[in-house]
This record gives sequence, structure tokens and C-alpha cells, in this order.
Amino acid sequence: MHLVRHHAYEFGVRGVDPNALSFDLTTAIARKDKIVGGIISGIHSGLKKNSGITFLTGRAEFTSPVDIRLDGQAITADKSILAVGATPTVPTIPGLDEAGFITNNEALKLGALPASMIIIGGGYIGIEFAQMYARFGTGVTLLGRAPRLMPKEEPELSGQLEEILQSEGIKVHTSTEVIRAGRDDTSRYVISRNGEVEQRMNAEIILLATGRTARVDGLGLEQAGVDLNGAFLKTDDQLNTTAPNIWSLGDANGGQMFTHRATYDGPIAALNAVKSLGRAVDYRVVPRAIFTEPALASVGLTEEEARQAGHAVKVGSYSFAHSGRGKALGQNEGLVKLVVDGDSREILGGHILGPHADMLIHEVVIAMQGRSTIETLAKAIHIHPTLNEIVKSAAKAVQ
Amino acid sequence: MDHYDLAVIGAGQGGLPAAHLAARLGAKVALIEMQQVGGT
Repeated sequence: MHLVRHHAYEFGVRGVDPNALSFDLTTAIARKDKIVGGIISGIHSGLKKNSGITFLTGRAEFTSPVDIRLDGQAITADKSILAVGATPTVPTIPGLDEAGFITNNEALKLGALPASMIIIGGGYIGIEFAQMYARFGTGVTLLGRAPRLMPKEEPELSGQLEEILQSEGIKVHTSTEVIRAGRDDTSRYVISRNGEVEQRMNAEIILLATGRTARVDGLGLEQAGVDLNGAFLKTDDQLNTTAPNIWSLGDANGGQMFTHRATYDGPIAALNAVKSLGRAVDYRVVPRAIFTEPALASVGLTEEEARQAGHAVKVGSYSFAHSGRGKALGQNEGLVKLVVDGDSREILGGHILGPHADMLIHEVVIAMQGRSTIETLAKAIHIHPTLNEIVKSAAKAVQ
Repeated sequence: MDHYDLAVIGAGQGGLPAAHLAARLGAKVALIEMQQVGGT
């Protein structure tokens, strides 16, 4: 709808009245549910075909390292793999419970489009929902504790994305802490503090996106002999927990909490549990993406991180403003920035803000996985006209 | 009481490949999920 509203006329489409456009959240959620339902049914049929797997439904609780109680029934297992994921962290903000809030789980199930929303948390989840709901038509206020959104990302890129979000009408408050929340007759409110300045903000919905915690409530970790390390499970580099017969993978272990990381962990945990292969995980090259528009995707070290690690850093960057394909798409905001070790010429990091950044980043992922030098990327012939040419141009810009 | 070589707790995008590979390697696997397969 954003595209239609803002670009239809420019692209020569007539008969679209931007003011007459409206968005039906219920239809969008029903469509999402249908897609997810298809995926789930595919998973179930895959499980049914696998005679080696017995699928059991229920909440598992360890009563010993090998005994598991499961909603009334009990099983034993020589070994276990915990793939329990993580759940939204609820910070202790006075009045928050009384005010009422939602997390990302409920944010995809709302029955009606809220007129206004305060999002607490300036990380991936907060930012993605901020842009999504703002584009749906909700008035969004985004509160982040750090001095900038996405504080771990390359500042040039996250700064540019912050400007884009603001230009779309999202009210972004950084260095802002929420000190109280509540509810009055007509809406919910939060009291935020930035330095000495306190501010009251009202909204129909409060969405919490303040981090995640391993989903271990009621799992019986103590009886299993599995220790926590802060909010997450304690594991070694072979995904073994503190119980010698129990492994753990994915979000529950903290670190880079992405689906693709859990999917990478899965086979390693299985090999180590079943075949005692002692395989170690290698997280040197784990890409990440924020699914905004433009998207922000990155892999490896930022320029600052590379300097702190002692590298003689060289960087190269190139803007999508120079991309003919980007111009044709009407999407030429953003840039590619590559971080290189000046001595070995090995690529240490890649950072992309731009159209389809989540796909383009894989050029850098493959190059880094193979420990390629920047020259490999710079010399590789890229198809014209594609967005990928900007990655090559950034590589050529590295001195 | 049912006995398994391996219990995989959680049928999300990490638990599923773990369970499938473990079964392919010959283990008798129990895959346990309390909500919905596929993860969040």
C-alpha cells in the first residue's frame, strides 16, 4: 500500500486516489495465517513420513537428566536436545502490568488497527513493527534506551534508517528510558525520561520489544542439571549444556537470536548427541537483517569493531543513489559499506542498507565464508543492471 | 514407560532439523512441542 500510495502516479498508474486507499488488518492477518498454516501442515506431513520420530504434544518437564514428564505421561531419554527458543523479556516498569501491553506474539494477531502505538525497544523487533504499523496507518512512537537505534550496527547505516523512519512519520526517541506506565479512561500512557526531561506519552497500545529470555519456565532445569548463564542456557562450543547428556541450540542459548542460527545449530547438536562427534559451532559468519524498507543487513565486524580488534582497517562504500536499477525501482536510498583487513585484504564485515539488502548481503557472506580477499568481490563480473553491482562498486572503492 | 534414544524439546526451526537428522542417524527420537511446530 505504501508503494501504491507514494509511487503509483510516478510509475504512470492512473486511477489511484491515494486518499481513498485503506488497509484491512484482518485480511492481512488472515493471509499471513494461511501462509503459516501451509508451512505448518508441510512440517507435520514431513514428521509423519519419518518413522524414526514420535511427535508428542505437551509441556516437558525434566524430573532427572533422563526422565521427562509430559502432561501426565512420562518418558525416558538417554539424551536430550533443548530447542526451546526464547520469549519476550518483560522489564520491571512500575504500572506496566496495570497498563497492559502486547509483545511481538500478539502484535501479529490484533483484531483491529490501533490508532496509536508506543513501542518500547529500539532493536530489530521494535523497528520492524514500528515501520509496519506506521505504514498500516497507526501513529507510532518508538522509544530506545541507547543513544541511537540499533546501537550494534554500523552507525552510518542505522543513522540513515532512523532518518527514513522519522521521514515516514514515526516519532523516534533515543536515550530514552521508560520509568512508569499506566492507564487512564481513554488510553494507555508511559512516562519516559531522557536525561532530566520527563515526558508523558499516550497511545492505544503499548508494544514491548525489550529483548528476549530463554523459554525455560517449568522445564525442570535443576533436576536436569542444566545451568543458566544469565537469561540463557549455558553451553560450550559443542552446544553441550552443563548436563553431559543434554545439548541446547538456538535462541535459548542467547547470542545471535535468529532462525537461521537455530537451523545451523540443529544438525550440529544432533551429530554431537547421537554420534558423539564433538563438532564445534562456528559463528564467525552469521548474517543478520532488519526487514524494514529499505532493509538493513550485515555480517561480520563493523569498522569500529574491526579497529578495536587490532586490524589495520580499510573500508569501501558506495551509495544506491548511483544504481540505475535502484532508480528504476524507485528505491535508491542507502549504501553498501565493506570492512577489510588492510594487510591480508580479507573481508571482515559487510553492511548494507538498501533495497533487498537481506538478499544482497549473501555476496559478502559467501566471500567471508571462503575467506576471500576484497579483490575477489571487486573483480567478479556482476550482471548489469542489478542492485548487486553496488556491492562490487563498494569492493572496488576499498583502497 | 516409553524409552527414547533422544528427546528433542521444541519443534521450531532448530529442533526440527535436529530431530530429522538424529532419526536419519538411526536414533529413536521423541520430538516434543507444547504449542505449534515451526517456532515463533
